[in-house]
Amino acid sequence: MGLFDKLAGWLGLKKKEVNVLCLGLDNSGKTTIINQLKPSNAQAQDIVPTIGFSIEKFKTSSLSFTVFDMSGQGREGQAIIFVIDSSDKLRMVVAKEELDTLLNHPDIKHRRIPILFFANKMDLRDALSSVKVSQLLCLENIKDKPWHICASNAVQGEGLQEGVDWLQDQIRTMRT
Amino acid sequence: MSSVPIEIKDSTVSSSKWLDAHYDPVANLYTFSSCITLADLHGDGENKLVVGDLGTGAGNMKLKVYRGTGLLSENTLLDLPTGLVSFLMDQHEPRTPAIAVASGPFIYIYKNLRPYFKFTLPTLEVNPLEQDVWNQARGDMIDPMTLKEMLEGIRDKAEIPLSVRSLRFLMLEPQEMESYVNLQKEQPIRRQTIITCIGTLKKNMADDDAVSCLVIGTESQDVYILDPEAFTILSKMSLPCVPTLMDVTGQFDVEFRIIVACRNGNIYILRRDSQKPKYCIELSSHPVGLIRMGKNVVVGCAQETMQSFTQKGKKLWTTYLPAPVTTMALLDLPTRGFQAILVALANCEVHVYRDKNVVSTIKTQDVVTSICFGRYGREDGTLIMTTKGGGLIIKILKRTAVFDDRDSISGPPIAQSIRLNVPKKTKLYVDQTMRERENAVAMHRAFQMDLSRLRLAAARAYVKALESSLTPMSASLTEPLKMNAVVQGLGPSFKLTLNIQNTAACRPVMNLAISFLYDENLYSMRTAFFKIPLLVPGLNYPIDTFVECLSDKGISDIIKVFVLREGKSTPLLTAHINMPVSEGLALS
Repeated sequence: MGLFDKLAGWLGLKKKEVNVLCLGLDNSGKTTIINQLKPSNAQAQDIVPTIGFSIEKFKTSSLSFTVFDMSGQGREGQAIIFVIDSSDKLRMVVAKEELDTLLNHPDIKHRRIPILFFANKMDLRDALSSVKVSQLLCLENIKDKPWHICASNAVQGEGLQEGVDWLQDQIRTMRT
Repeated sequence: MSSVPIEIKDSTVSSSKWLDAHYDPVANLYTFSSCITLADLHGDGENKLVVGDLGTGAGNMKLKVYRGTGLLSENTLLDLPTGLVSFLMDQHEPRTPAIAVASGPFIYIYKNLRPYFKFTLPTLEVNPLEQDVWNQARGDMIDPMTLKEMLEGIRDKAEIPLSVRSLRFLMLEPQEMESYVNLQKEQPIRRQTIITCIGTLKKNMADDDAVSCLVIGTESQDVYILDPEAFTILSKMSLPCVPTLMDVTGQFDVEFRIIVACRNGNIYILRRDSQKPKYCIELSSHPVGLIRMGKNVVVGCAQETMQSFTQKGKKLWTTYLPAPVTTMALLDLPTRGFQAILVALANCEVHVYRDKNVVSTIKTQDVVTSICFGRYGREDGTLIMTTKGGGLIIKILKRTAVFDDRDSISGPPIAQSIRLNVPKKTKLYVDQTMRERENAVAMHRAFQMDLSRLRLAAARAYVKALESSLTPMSASLTEPLKMNAVVQGLGPSFKLTLNIQNTAACRPVMNLAISFLYDENLYSMRTAFFKIPLLVPGLNYPIDTFVECLSDKGISDIIKVFVLREGKSTPLLTAHINMPVSEGLALS
């Protein structure tokens, strides 16, 4: 990376590319969240269940995110977005199990990558609070990675910006 | 020693196959496996749990629907549900299944959780004689007492049993009969049967979303197949006994098999185009659970066993279970191609059996009374259990869980490694054997001599006892008697109870008397001689007397009891009672 690139990066002229994995159980709202983060003219109207995986891109104030919307695991991720359906109390254990499997994966285990949790579907009547979700998922046991949990409503886009801002700060502090 | 760590490892491995999703000990669900099902009631891809709750005894029967961990809706049921199934009754879109609840002679159909239709079983034929008798009662030609006598006559002889009305009439008290007859005589007599079990059968396609017929077993030993849309009877088959458990497979229009477990402990297999069962499996005890796995039938029996049969009635295997079976269900994971049997046991465990082998054990907080495995919510491998205390347990099978098909009894049994408790030999023992080896002849002689002397002494003492009738057991063949004496109390008054028994086979003993011999300075008795009643063989006669201790010195003595025959001076039996020291006087 040349001096000019660095300078442009510091000044925020050229946006850095970041690869992000978006994970979570089926029907938790991954595609909807990513869709909401895209510019309004690129947003899709109908969201259908994702088959296999899809790659989406969106930009924030200083970073350009490439998001792998999938329900598996990859190796090139620099951050993880983990989406939880907060109204599905029954499958919270399954989400915890999947999260534990993810955190114990050899490609993830020893890397200090930031994890952003979205306690999604906050608008539903029987939704759990983000504190309750973090308790049920035992997030306090994650000691070696920075993490943050946000309550969100992906349909309205509430809470998404706060989460992405945190993620952006984390990635920037890791770079410098 | 080495078996302990293996066991610990095993239990952790098996418990880690299931995730504890939800446990509600006060869910107030009292039901059985026949009244619980999973169905996509709203067509939104999310399966709901439908439970026919039996309530707490006489009332509170409810149709409850759960979504996730919460109760979605509740409908009151009119009667105790005996079975509950969900089935698609038409081709309309969206494909929402209907719920059929069988209770009494009716099937209540719910669509979209609203009452939709009520099917009533056809009535059975009424005994013509009974009909005649009631017709006469209607014309006031006979009074209730004659009616009762005539009905009793019919009940004892006729082939067709009486209707509920007549049976109820026969139970009544005479003063209630008149009003009952007046109330009932105008209505026509009907004889109705009751549904005992219910199942579904695909009509003409094997797809998951194909239309299904209802299959019902009744108390009148019949099996009916109902048309899903018109609720007409498509087929009727008869069984030799009342069915209790049912499994249906196949398609109505092509070929089907109905496996029914009956109250007489037999399993019958019905097929298309046969009015009577073709095969019969006789079990050694009553069936508790009935599962079909592929082409085989697995039955949980009341004798803590699980047996497997082919559909032609050939026995394949038997497994002995550690506790009685409470209920059984099929664990079917078509996406992973895995099938197993879930057996709930009375020792608060649920075992997962793959053929004869336990592949997983689940410990539950209470005895499980109903099990249901399938897709619940959006999760495929969900295990739903309700407990005896009304609790609800939901567990989810891990996506990474693997059931290895190893034999559960691997290696030698644990009992083999336990060391026997053989006593050690000390030096004393070795010295003793040395002495025996050296002086064997002298020891043998001395011992034989002593043994002869012992025999002589014993024989002498025995003869002496017989001569003076000192024994409490009479030896004479004509009057076999047995006596023992018990002293109760602290003194100075004691209660002396003599238990006398005639041990003869069938001969009573008469004219006996009892006499006490005691030191008159020490004790006083109201009567020292009395007669005893006739002794019936086998009965124990307790005879009480009261003894007063006169001495204040704390002296005790022996009291002798003699059982005498009238006219003979030698006693039949004698007992010596060592009286305890009187404590009452010492205190005063």
